[in-house]
Amino acid sequence: MARLRGAHVVLVLGLVGGLGAPAAWAVGRPADAAGPAVAEVLAAAPPGAPAPRAPADWVPEVTLRSAMAPPVPEVPAPARLVVPSIGVDAPVDPVGVSGTGAMRIPADVDRVGWYEHGPAPGDGAGSVVLAGHVDSRTQGLGAMAALRTAEVGAEVRVLDEAGTVSRWRVVARETLHKQQLPTAELFTRSGPRRLVLLTCGGPFDEELRSYRDNVVVLAEPVP
Amino acid sequence: MRRTRTITLVTGTAGALVLGAGAPALAAPGDDVATDATDPATVTVLHAIPDVPVDVYANGEELIADFAPGTLTDPLELPAGEYDLEIFPVDADPATAEPTAELADVALTPGLDATVTAFLAEDGSPALVPFVNDVSVVPAGQARLVVRHVAAAPAVDVRADGTPLVEDLANPDEEMLLVDPGVVSADVVLAGEDTGVVDPVDLELAEGVVTTVYAYGDEESGYQLATQTSTNTASAPSSVPTGTAGLVDDDGLPLPLVAVSLVGLVAAAAAGRRLVTTRA
Repeated sequence: MARLRGAHVVLVLGLVGGLGAPAAWAVGRPADAAGPAVAEVLAAAPPGAPAPRAPADWVPEVTLRSAMAPPVPEVPAPARLVVPSIGVDAPVDPVGVSGTGAMRIPADVDRVGWYEHGPAPGDGAGSVVLAGHVDSRTQGLGAMAALRTAEVGAEVRVLDEAGTVSRWRVVARETLHKQQLPTAELFTRSGPRRLVLLTCGGPFDEELRSYRDNVVVLAEPVP
Repeated sequence: MRRTRTITLVTGTAGALVLGAGAPALAAPGDDVATDATDPATVTVLHAIPDVPVDVYANGEELIADFAPGTLTDPLELPAGEYDLEIFPVDADPATAEPTAELADVALTPGLDATVTAFLAEDGSPALVPFVNDVSVVPAGQARLVVRHVAAAPAVDVRADGTPLVEDLANPDEEMLLVDPGVVSADVVLAGEDTGVVDPVDLELAEGVVTTVYAYGDEESGYQLATQTSTNTASAPSSVPTGTAGLVDDDGLPLPLVAVSLVGLVAAAAAGRRLVTTRA
């Protein structure tokens, strides 16, 4: 009888382990998306949408400007990114593009890159883009590894090099195929102020040593 | 955040200037965007004749009054078609006065972007010429620089931080290049010489922007640079590569969990079988 009770225990434990492990994994894994679709948020105000054109008056109103080179406006660069709810707290470096036209990402996975050719947090329009590694073969998990768990409503703070803190709130997260990443809309320099956080995600291709997807988080300024 | 950088020449293209002799039909270069026949043309007017304010007329209508040297218009949308352009001394009567310069039958095609420039030819005579602007998007991370020689001067070199960017450029030619963005100290010297024509000025070559620089003026009034910049020519990076290890690979159940699950199921099956056989 004791041996049979043992068998019962093994049966129950085996079923719990066998079915529970994948079930717990499925429940625990971050959802692929949170909030409305990224494309939907981006489309809410299409970048640079031209105003309806007035009937072309053939003698248009003329406005003049000096042909002297205008002074270069200085806007402080972001220096630190903090997302308290998912434990992201990383220094930010200005980055441009690589020879292949891709956004450069700081080699140090603990640092996040700010797309320096686009808007800064202090600019009045367009998207501030911050991107960081999810991981690296040599350095392990990166500063943005937790981005895929960011939830709608999460607070984001960006400290700029002048010491000013800008506050943002996550409005959407989505994992998008890299081939379908709406780069023009994400990196727009016009339209409403927005913060775009990017990293990699989705299935990993061992051969290409690359993830298939990008995790995209959109945040809007907190007034 | 903008830093001064050494400028490097990425590509050099000899610009094509369409001169206003006869009936110039202007076509936008690299015209890969579909244009509608009803699209207007975009025209900027630049006044680069030193010292003399003018009135600008298009098809006999006054377009710009009291246009000061060293100024330019914001881009104007003009219905596509043919235009006669004339400039007159300020307040002259166009019915009777002789134009300072004129350009007849300029065909502005739909979607065209051009800068109509009033300037001095090399010999000092006033001229009116439409330069076609390449306002196609600039590759991400770069700046497009266009240099136009519209000064009463022989061929020049245009230098950035002392390094020639454009060499042996004659009036009224232009040259277009892609450069690294940044702020450079730009000056103009006689071609192949160190004789200064325009003293160094700080020039921002912004990423994603077409910066067009005009060297204008004459010996008597001095030489200067006029600058025109584009909008909506920036492009985005092609991709955002941010992971190389697969540590958060989301391709399904992780292997250790698969192992745990299998062991559990095998144990459960064995125990279940024992229960069944013992009962039987």
